[in-house]
Amino acid sequence: MSSQHTAESSVLVSLRDVVKVYDTGEVPFTALRHVDLEVRSGEFVGLIGKSGSGKTTLINMITGIDRPTSGEVVVGGTPVHALNENQLAMWRGRTIGVVFQFFQLLPTLTVIENVMLPMDFCAMYAPAERPEHAMHLLEQVELADQAHKLPSALSGGQQQRAAIARALANDPPILAADEPTGNLDSKTADAVFHLFEELVEAHKTIIMVTHDTDIASRVRRSLTVSDGEITDEIIHRPRAERVGL
Amino acid sequence: MSGPLSGLAPRWRKVVRDLSSHRFRTLLVVLSIAVGVFAITVVMGGRGILLREFEAVYAASVPATISFSVDAADDSVVRAVERFEGVRFAEGRRTLAVRYTKGEQPEAASSAGWDTLHVSALPEFERGRMDLVTLESARSFPPVAGELLLERSVQMVADYAVGDVVSVEAPSGKRTELRVTGIVHDINAFPATFVATATGYVSMDTLRLLDQPTHYNEIHLIAEGAPTRAEASRLAVEVRDDVLGARGVRVLQTSVPEPGSHFLGDIFRAVSLLLLALGVLSLALSGFLVVTTVQAIMAQQVSQVGIMKAVGGRADQIMRMYLVMVAVYGVFAVAVGMPIGAAAGHWFTGYAADLLNFRITTYAPPPSVIALGVAVGLAVPLLAALVPVRLGTRISVVRALNATGMSGTSFGHGLIDRALGLVRGLPRPVALSLRNTFLRKGRLTLTLVTLTLASAVIMSVMSVQSSILATVDEVDMWDFDAQMWFAVPQSREAVERIASRVEGVVAVSGMPEYRSVFTRADGTESQPIDLIGVDPASDFVVPRISEGRWLAAGDRAAIVLNADVAKDEPELRVGSSATFNVLGEDRTFEVVGVVTAGLMGPVAFAPAAYVDEIAGRSGAIMRLQLRTPTDDTWEHARIARVVERRLEERGVPVAFTQTANDQRDQVASQLGILVTFLAIMGVILAAVGVIGLTGTMTINVLESTREIGVMRAIGASHRSIYQIFVTEGVVIALIAWFVGALVSYPMSAALLDMLERAMGLPLAFEYAWSGVGIWLAAVTAIAIAASMLPAFRASQVSVRDAIAYE
Repeated sequence: MSSQHTAESSVLVSLRDVVKVYDTGEVPFTALRHVDLEVRSGEFVGLIGKSGSGKTTLINMITGIDRPTSGEVVVGGTPVHALNENQLAMWRGRTIGVVFQFFQLLPTLTVIENVMLPMDFCAMYAPAERPEHAMHLLEQVELADQAHKLPSALSGGQQQRAAIARALANDPPILAADEPTGNLDSKTADAVFHLFEELVEAHKTIIMVTHDTDIASRVRRSLTVSDGEITDEIIHRPRAERVGL
Repeated sequence: MSGPLSGLAPRWRKVVRDLSSHRFRTLLVVLSIAVGVFAITVVMGGRGILLREFEAVYAASVPATISFSVDAADDSVVRAVERFEGVRFAEGRRTLAVRYTKGEQPEAASSAGWDTLHVSALPEFERGRMDLVTLESARSFPPVAGELLLERSVQMVADYAVGDVVSVEAPSGKRTELRVTGIVHDINAFPATFVATATGYVSMDTLRLLDQPTHYNEIHLIAEGAPTRAEASRLAVEVRDDVLGARGVRVLQTSVPEPGSHFLGDIFRAVSLLLLALGVLSLALSGFLVVTTVQAIMAQQVSQVGIMKAVGGRADQIMRMYLVMVAVYGVFAVAVGMPIGAAAGHWFTGYAADLLNFRITTYAPPPSVIALGVAVGLAVPLLAALVPVRLGTRISVVRALNATGMSGTSFGHGLIDRALGLVRGLPRPVALSLRNTFLRKGRLTLTLVTLTLASAVIMSVMSVQSSILATVDEVDMWDFDAQMWFAVPQSREAVERIASRVEGVVAVSGMPEYRSVFTRADGTESQPIDLIGVDPASDFVVPRISEGRWLAAGDRAAIVLNADVAKDEPELRVGSSATFNVLGEDRTFEVVGVVTAGLMGPVAFAPAAYVDEIAGRSGAIMRLQLRTPTDDTWEHARIARVVERRLEERGVPVAFTQTANDQRDQVASQLGILVTFLAIMGVILAAVGVIGLTGTMTINVLESTREIGVMRAIGASHRSIYQIFVTEGVVIALIAWFVGALVSYPMSAALLDMLERAMGLPLAFEYAWSGVGIWLAAVTAIAIAASMLPAFRASQVSVRDAIAYE
């Protein structure tokens, strides 16, 4: 399934005939069945579906966290499915910022150190510039005052915002978020979603997995995943249009 | 951003924080590595120091190449020996055995119960050139007439000090008092801790006080160069014939020891070999401990590895982080283990040196041991960690992120799993413990290998100990309660009659005993061998034959060797004919057997009638053995003193008296060094095992923290959690104990075989079943203790924190 978009934005993510089969014992489980997908630069895409539908598997294909059993995954011109683990790690660090449901901040590093970690691994920015850049990102997510605290001292919402700052550390064009609001209360979830909207306005491409239909209705384009297939696609009007501006 | 870590990249800050925030885990890992460093430093350091110092002290004493016992010689003979080609130095001395006791004694008092003092009278103390003694403390030096220097090992068995007066009884019966003016160390003297004989040194002037002539009865020489024993033996024959014989000096005995080999060399080699073997085992044990603990750490860190990979970390970058962490553990372990190991090694070598009677000049471990300790602390953990770290960091991101901490492994597929699934009727917590034990099979295997190795080594050490103690019984081939020697041959009939009339004596047996030497095929001579004449039917002898047979009725020129002779003289084989020089005459014997008895010096046995015949002294004896109706060793000593007094009253001077217990102690004291060393090693290895087991069990429980949270969330009480983990620990310990016990049997046999080869003495193999029981109790107690502490810690964590545990 492909989408129709404005001619000026280029295809950033492309999945062709992607199949993922898990060997779970006696009966293999097919998580993705011949999925085709294109995501253009600057899109805010929501993947929705029930638990076990294959939406997390799909986003893991895009981030290179998991590999397809067959098919092709091309992101920003890079054939992700053909990269080895080390190439993947380096590519991911520079190309995709990943945000997890359970934040996944390293517990022994402070917030700012967590944000600097991708820069360190991918040798982005001069070492002396990293703290300043990390602090700038934390200011962007309104966490500058928490920079030197350990994750355990932060609330869930704060931890997720720190995780978003970390995902933005190397200024990647794409953000992939797996249930980023799934572990947050509605008010905090709303704040995080608002942050994503700002990032899209800043020309980031965001692919987000969610099972929250309310959240899903606020993205530009939502794809319904069911039994390993994309079964539905809805293009939502931009917020400005919806409010009649 | 400021602070001590501000200069570090975030990934290295993570390493530092992981080390500092998981203090308990850091402590465990450091201890696991440190025990290996400690064991290596103690064992190999102790071995290195002992070897170095023993060799240095022995070489510094300049031991004589050849010693002659002669009837009489003066300085002109000594000078003639020194001028002989191939001889570098020669010195004369007079030696004699006297009896002595502390304090002044009235002339009339009996000397029964006095001890034997081996006295050497030297012409020069300050300019001696061989068999040197070292002054340890002195009131005046060198000694003049009436003064005595005592060898320091006497202070280990009796309370003697400089300034004491001792009463000395010369072989003639004359008594005199000598003042102790100094304590010396003589590495060439048999330590008083091993034999009931002390060693003392006097000037030639003192000989007159002891009714002795002032000529020499021993000539010692140092050969030119570094001759082999065979070359030295040939030189001895030349000196004997061309110098001493030509000047009318009669040579009674020639002694040519193995060059560079101390008389305790066999024991020393055995100790050294044992330390080496245990060092290697400690190293292996330490390696397994490290693999186990590093694997556990990687298991705990798996989700963090996934996160790091997800944000751009490459496997090699992450691998370096964990290897640096392991290296830091290693540095801490070296910093902890090496100084403690060096301190324990200091004590250990000091103790060993006291036992072997030599002085340690410097306790610094050899550089090679320091290098080995550092290697064990750093290189072994890094090497051991390489595989688990590599596997841990190669894990795919999706698998790492999906690891829940609820053991991302499946249970129920293997044979063992299915078998455990069939076990019914067990209480639920016990069944859970059993299944938990086999949940992480890789970890279980490593833990089991480590614990099994520790268990096997500890049980083997106990078996070697019991084998050595059994050997002490085996080398004792006599059945007597007390025995005494005479300085000159005595009438068997008279002595046996006097002794048998003493109340408490139920049987007596006199026997002839003469010094002999075996003449080798190349004409050189053996060390002196005591030739004892025994009645083949005597029930005072209980021979344990290792080869051939014992003497039989009707045997004439038959001879049976003890293990020491068989080891020293490989030419002497059962069935061969051998020439022995007895009392100056060459006699041919047929070697009919070898007995297991050893560690009492070279001894051979021949029929008493034949020994009488070749000595030309029918019915003359040099030794008397007696039996009493009691097993009380104090009573044996008391009755022996009464017999001794009765004999002296009848004009039969006794040179030396010994109870069976004394003799056993003499052998046991030599083997006892091994037993002591083994006990020390056993304690060290047990400590390694205990820390290893504690560490492994603790990490097992830490890894299960999330399971504990889940169990508590569904209603498990503290008691249930204790029960589950303690049972799991005990199950692991019992498996290790069982497999360790199976392995320990061949391992004990191999260790004992090694000792036998090193000592040249057959050792009785006695597997220590008691050790198996002791270790079962110990390992169960350890498992309970090792599981309870971490289970307690885990049970104190809230359910929420337990489930969120990383």
